[in-house]
Amino acid sequence: MTLGADIGIFAISLLAGVVGALAGVGGGILVVPALTMLFGVDIRLAIGASIVSVIATSSGAAAAYVRDGMTDMRVGMFLELATTTGAVSGALLAAAVAPAALYVLLGLVLLFSAAQQAFRLGEELPPVAGASPLAARMRLVGSYPDARLGRDVPYAAQRVPLGFVMMLGAGVVSGLLGIGSGALKVLAMDGAMRLPMKVSSATSNFMIGVTAAASAGIYLGRGDVDPTLAAPVALGVLAGAMAGARILPRLSNRSVRLVFLPVLLAVGAQTLLRGLGVGV
Amino acid sequence: MNADRFRVLVSGVLIVGVVVSATLVAFGLATALLVGWGGSLSGAAPDGTAVTAFAGMGANLAALRPVGFAQLGLVALLATPVARVAASVAAFLLEGDHLYTAITAVVLLILLASLFLLR
Repeated sequence: MTLGADIGIFAISLLAGVVGALAGVGGGILVVPALTMLFGVDIRLAIGASIVSVIATSSGAAAAYVRDGMTDMRVGMFLELATTTGAVSGALLAAAVAPAALYVLLGLVLLFSAAQQAFRLGEELPPVAGASPLAARMRLVGSYPDARLGRDVPYAAQRVPLGFVMMLGAGVVSGLLGIGSGALKVLAMDGAMRLPMKVSSATSNFMIGVTAAASAGIYLGRGDVDPTLAAPVALGVLAGAMAGARILPRLSNRSVRLVFLPVLLAVGAQTLLRGLGVGV
Repeated sequence: MNADRFRVLVSGVLIVGVVVSATLVAFGLATALLVGWGGSLSGAAPDGTAVTAFAGMGANLAALRPVGFAQLGLVALLATPVARVAASVAAFLLEGDHLYTAITAVVLLILLASLFLLR
């Protein structure tokens, strides 16, 4: 890579970091197509760089989200049981299943979820509801400081088993396809468990690094991580994610939804296209 | 351990991981602009190992090759979530939350198993 290409990759990664931190996803949605289409990088190495991007977004953003109380660490750790188990199962299954059909299926699921999300665009906070016995026993209740509303907002997780199963699916998808797992996590916490959007995004960000780390060893061992590409990606994404994490607390939950919806549409379309044999 | 100290511990681990990896990667990238990724700051002979071969990281570092610093930085980045989970185990333990100490310890075990068993 030339200096010009390094700067270009850094700039796109910076943007990917900001968007990823706000939407609760890893930024592969921007990094992979930019590397393949603008810089002619092989799809295999582009996906290896996107794993680095996911972990950089997660650690860069979560450092601030955890400190500021935006991340629910109990919800995150409880659900990581599901995502790490899923990720290992997905990686083990990878040799046995044809990924093309799975990409198509996941792409359709994400696009369908985007339609559902569109109906929730105007929702600032989920309806107030009591904690189920399971949520109470697992302490999946809490509050987050909302700088925008100027108060602490309490919440209680709903439909915990459904959220857990969706997280298992997000883990399998991550281990198997390495795409779309951040979007699925936000959907599980926002849509199924009805956590506030900012908590869903910040907690997804906290979790995606761990899910990605569970399969990072495989990518590293296979030679899919090219340091000459991953270096500008990692630096750009880290800087972007740290900036994005400073912006999120001041946004309304509605604005975060407005960032998440196009990301969800793009991830859905990208996944579908990859299933149809178009590597973007 | 109160909730504030808990958060400071976990976010502190993330910040250290981010700073260490970004410093190493940035040093690798900056020196690569001077001597090339496979060049050497100590004048050691270039080698033919692929930059994607992390098995060569030790040799690259010994020869002060930019690619070696970037590789070590990337490994530090990939290790940061693992360190964060380990710190969470300690934090839940200090807080006296046995349920979440157990949950987090299981996540750590799955994570370590996946790193060492899935190759």
